[in-house]
Amino acid sequence: MPSLRVLVADDEPVSRTVVGAMLKKAGYEVAFASDGEQAWAQLSVPTPPSIALLDWEMPGLKGPEVVERIRARGDQAPTYVILLTARDSSADIVTGLKAGANDYVTKPANEDELIARVNVGARVVELQAALAERVRSLEEALANVKALQTLLPMCAYCKAIRNDQNYWEKVETYFHDHSGVSFSHSYCPSCYDRFVKPQLDALEDVTQAQRRQNGR
Amino acid sequence: MMPVLDPAVIESLRQLTPPGEPDVLSEVLRLFLDDVPGRIARLRSAWQDGNAVEVQRAAHSLKGSAGNIGATDLLSVCRSLDDQGRSGDLSNLAPLVTALETEYAKVAAEIKSLIKS
Repeated sequence: MPSLRVLVADDEPVSRTVVGAMLKKAGYEVAFASDGEQAWAQLSVPTPPSIALLDWEMPGLKGPEVVERIRARGDQAPTYVILLTARDSSADIVTGLKAGANDYVTKPANEDELIARVNVGARVVELQAALAERVRSLEEALANVKALQTLLPMCAYCKAIRNDQNYWEKVETYFHDHSGVSFSHSYCPSCYDRFVKPQLDALEDVTQAQRRQNGR
Repeated sequence: MMPVLDPAVIESLRQLTPPGEPDVLSEVLRLFLDDVPGRIARLRSAWQDGNAVEVQRAAHSLKGSAGNIGATDLLSVCRSLDDQGRSGDLSNLAPLVTALETEYAKVAAEIKSLIKS
């Protein structure tokens, strides 16, 4: 599968470069933003990066503000956001997560921890994409099945069904048109005894009568 | 005496270079030399203007840069400046600003010798 794209937004070039290099080494494709406005712009294109690492303290828009904007938009495939922060008091962490971040990493980032957390993000993104694809194909399948009515008027004798246009159709035709179901015809044991066997017997009688006539 | 730059951090930066790509360690160290003096100057002038918010902001970003290259002593000075700026009390800042500049000079000298070697 193609490598995921990760946005690294940090106004401080040293951190940005180090984090970017860690991600590249782990096989991610990396995009950079040097402030919150740039990050917001890069996350507002039709196919934004799947994962964003946003620094908390940036001039202009701060990390949590960028997250709030993204979440307010209610994307179909929401970006997985990790806040990078030198703040590590639990009050700050709660603020960041409440703003809509999925996770946070304290700075300076430890390479193993950062990559492990980004990998978690990648799993979530892939799972979400797989689910979205599944929902899409189910919706497509549903759209193809013409709705079956819940209460079907059926003839008590010949079992024909009255369709929406008030015509009486054979059961086979009705179900075929409304669900794509096809029927193969056979007979059940009791109908075999009731209908098929007498017919076969009658045929047998006729054949024997003919043989007798011919033999004469 | 503690080394100016933590050797473990320097080694891990060295290992970030993918095969056939430009050296990440020297790129990061050069960026540090390009970027940090401006931030120190901003901190100094914010302090002279009595602008605690700007002092804190500059100290905070310096803290990130120092932490990333394992400049341990510089990092602890930045941390104190960050805390002071946050508290809004800039009255005892003079020794910290001086320490910031001294520590930076040590780090810069160390980086230059590293880049040369």
